[in-house]
Amino acid sequence: MTDTLVEVANLAKVFGTGRYASKVLDDVGFSVQRGETVGLVGESGSGKSTTARCILRLIEPTSGTIRFEGEDVLSFRRAKLKEYRARAQLVFQDPYSSLDPRMCVEDIIGEGIRIHRPRQKRTAIRDQIVELLELVGLRPDHLPRRPAAFSGGERQRIGIARALAVQPSLLICDEPVASLDVSIQAQILNLFVNLKSRLGLTMIYIAHDLATVRHLCDRIVVMQGGQVKEIGSRDQIYGSPQDPYTIALMRAVPEPDPVVARERSRERRLPSTAEGVAK
Amino acid sequence: MISAAMDNAAPTRPDVDTALLKVEDLSISFPSPNGTVHAVNGVSFSVAPRERMAIVGESGSGKSVTAQALLGLLPTATISGRIMFDGHDVQTMPASELRALRGAEMSYVFQDPLSSLDPVRTIGDQVCQPLRIRGISRKEAKARALDMLAAVGIPDPARRYGDYPHQFSGGMRQRVMIAMALIGEPRLVIADEPTTALDVRVAAKIVDLLYALSEERGVAVVFITHDLGVVAGSADRVMVMYAGRVMETCAVDELYYRSIHPYTLGLLQSLPRVTGPIPEQLSTIGGRPPSPSDLPSGCAFHPRCRYVRDVCRTDTPTLRTPPSGQHPSACHVAGWLAEEPGVLR
Repeated sequence: MTDTLVEVANLAKVFGTGRYASKVLDDVGFSVQRGETVGLVGESGSGKSTTARCILRLIEPTSGTIRFEGEDVLSFRRAKLKEYRARAQLVFQDPYSSLDPRMCVEDIIGEGIRIHRPRQKRTAIRDQIVELLELVGLRPDHLPRRPAAFSGGERQRIGIARALAVQPSLLICDEPVASLDVSIQAQILNLFVNLKSRLGLTMIYIAHDLATVRHLCDRIVVMQGGQVKEIGSRDQIYGSPQDPYTIALMRAVPEPDPVVARERSRERRLPSTAEGVAK
Repeated sequence: MISAAMDNAAPTRPDVDTALLKVEDLSISFPSPNGTVHAVNGVSFSVAPRERMAIVGESGSGKSVTAQALLGLLPTATISGRIMFDGHDVQTMPASELRALRGAEMSYVFQDPLSSLDPVRTIGDQVCQPLRIRGISRKEAKARALDMLAAVGIPDPARRYGDYPHQFSGGMRQRVMIAMALIGEPRLVIADEPTTALDVRVAAKIVDLLYALSEERGVAVVFITHDLGVVAGSADRVMVMYAGRVMETCAVDELYYRSIHPYTLGLLQSLPRVTGPIPEQLSTIGGRPPSPSDLPSGCAFHPRCRYVRDVCRTDTPTLRTPPSGQHPSACHVAGWLAEEPGVLR
């Protein structure tokens, strides 16, 4: 049985005041069912990362509601907020700046466990960490090493293990493969697919292109300029996209097939009716 | 009859002597605290006038270093081999001649337009620079810069001429970079990952723009990228690099439809697509690219290759066309892949 884990409604965020005010989110609303992976897709400035940060209470929205398991996230204070921090976790885009270079892998992954479950024994924590490492495809002998010893893909695995350490119900991934090499991107995408089926994770996956999202997400939310342009199941979005912006994004995806790519390029150069509406 | 057949072949297989750029056995290494870094190892290729060639590779493949060497931008590196531009050796050229070559004959579009534009000079000033250096009057340079900015799709160039780089978006800055690269009317433009920092729609526009400009102006383009998807629609020829070596090189359709190198095939299959069936798992290339300071023995790709044989661990394959194949590939099993098309697909 599916039930709603996250519900975002009428979310708005304004940065700055007076004549410097800029509306970054404008009436954003969508929901995430338990066990579902929702893709938030849009270009830079679309508000996809801001939406994620609001859900995680890393920034405060100007107005709107966010519900997590039916509870009002924006009303959480102190103990309740701390508890929420363990329930919803984030995997960052840049695996280089998001890991403390002076901490070893064991401390990076274990930090959250120690904070959220302080009474656990050291050995029990270490067992959990080893289990997490194996889950994300790293080895126990990596424990004493520091981030500098790892490649981008491996760092991203450490970041994922860190997020999973506190057993969150919701994992938000902010462009986790954008800075990785092509051959490594596929490895990490497959890891997410595995985690999804093994742990029954609920995920919000943020991306700027429609190709990676297609492999992972059950439902897709397309955003532009702080607004939701289209929400649909994977089949709907890829089979018959409705919004002109979604169609334009779809056309811009680089296609590794010369005949198709030339055709797309021709389509883009001709002023089409779909893009005419968007302008 | 024979000459007619040769005429037919000419556009796709340019005669080596007419090549605009010819690189022979190029090796580049850098000294480092952890021993010498062999960034490029024995790379040869040529670019014909008006040809669009893509160099594809992941980080550490030596693609950017190769491109920088072409313009003599690597003063600290140890370089061997020859780089001939229009019959002149770039490396033995006096500094003054090299300066005259840069911008006027051969120019470079850098990956990150924000850090490669001067933040304290106006866009117009920077676009004019290649002309001003050649002694063209301020007035004429400005007129040509305005035309060029319009040609790369900057709206209202007269108004934007006096603006600074921070007033431009990423895509617009990349257009300015392209304008700077083309204003000297070079015969070759090297574009080093020009779309990597950009949104998909903007990236597609920049690729389309480079394609259109190279068609219109007859400029040869060397397009460097890590993404086989980006260049499929615009390149004439593709060269795939790995660990500082050329793995495979051929016409674009040949590479995408009839590749005979396990690395290229692995890259193609690992790309997520927006069309076609959705596989349960994307096929991947296991492991990670080797560090240029610690290359594996034999074929550098062998630790990650599914078709590894004993010979791959000891002998470095050379780039050659297998008897049953149509194009060169640096792989010991290329002959088998060519005989059994579809074995990896």
